[in-house]
Amino acid sequence: MTAAREAIHLPVLFLTVTLLGGLRPGSAVVLAPPSLFSLVLAVLLVGVLVQSGAFVPLRVMNASRPALANLNGGVLVAALLAASAQVFSLLTPDAGLPRVLFSVYFLVLLINTMAASPDRVRVLRSLAVTFGAAFVLKFIVLDALSDPAGGRLTRLLQVLFEGVTLGALTQDAQHPAAGYVAFAAIVMFLVALSLLPSVARSTRRPDHLRQGYGGPPKLSVKAEGLRLPWA
Amino acid sequence: MKSMNETVVRAAGLGITIVYASLIAWLFVRQPATFAEVTGGLSSAVGAYRIDQQAFDDGLQYFRNDQFGEARAAFERADPARRDALTQFYTAYAFYREGWGRFYSDDELYGQGLEAVNRAIALAPGGRLVVQAPGQEIGTADELKAELERGLRVEASDFDPMRVFRPRR
Repeated sequence: MTAAREAIHLPVLFLTVTLLGGLRPGSAVVLAPPSLFSLVLAVLLVGVLVQSGAFVPLRVMNASRPALANLNGGVLVAALLAASAQVFSLLTPDAGLPRVLFSVYFLVLLINTMAASPDRVRVLRSLAVTFGAAFVLKFIVLDALSDPAGGRLTRLLQVLFEGVTLGALTQDAQHPAAGYVAFAAIVMFLVALSLLPSVARSTRRPDHLRQGYGGPPKLSVKAEGLRLPWA
Repeated sequence: MKSMNETVVRAAGLGITIVYASLIAWLFVRQPATFAEVTGGLSSAVGAYRIDQQAFDDGLQYFRNDQFGEARAAFERADPARRDALTQFYTAYAFYREGWGRFYSDDELYGQGLEAVNRAIALAPGGRLVVQAPGQEIGTADELKAELERGLRVEASDFDPMRVFRPRR
């Protein structure tokens, strides 16, 4: 990884995600800090990234590097944590039953990913699907169910839906720009994750070992013409 | 040479990141609602923010003629970033005078007035703002805040019939 990527590109990308993730466009623009729960999810996500080899903290912070390089690495880790927290905060609905369901969904998914211990590519794919699904649910499905500007039929369906769910699912209507900002933030976050310093391909364990069958290859030494001193 | 270049890149990256992170932290703490508030806040942070004096004088003139809506519009034009304590004080005062009533006060206007006077107090050095002017009965931001808070509270004195004779300040 180049110094520019580690010291400039990645921290700036993650900080931009932190900013966009907190942006709530409306009649008055609000910048929402991450919730406490999203901080917990962010720590779990960083754990998943480290476990899968998608991010190797030792490549950006270790005793053999100069102090300035380690400082860059520390800033990168902090920016990654902040951006992760903001992305979870952005994708979690603001109130009601959906907020609880999304929080549990993210938590279970991250714990499950940790238990499955997938490799870097699978983790990145899984995150893209998870964030994409949450984006569609929050910014398209829930927004359509909560949109007060629809026609009569839409309003009627909303009233019926609200009655059936006792008003537990409907959310405050969002500004039309909110979805676009969220989409940009998620794409930037996924791009930044794929640029993180990861384990080199050659040092990864092969798949048949990771999946638990076959076991490690046996070490065999053919002593053809070689005489060991103690033999 | 390569090592030197790398050090420069790393130092520049650290500087850029710290400045950018500080800007984001400032935005989250200050919560500016408009772009004017962002630019005004940043320029006031370096001591370069100035209000539009002509608009402020117009607003003061409207305020003294009891044209409170016009006064607030002029004050808004004078201080779009809401970073000037005196302008915010007069904005709050305009809310107070328009919301004042002999029988009841307008809670919505008083609420907006309270927000403005709180901004004025936060912006004033040491939170102390004294504004003496002829024909003006409220001379400090603390007095104005107390008047607005009193108007928003429901208390036994609200039902005193003699209340209708109290003067507007």
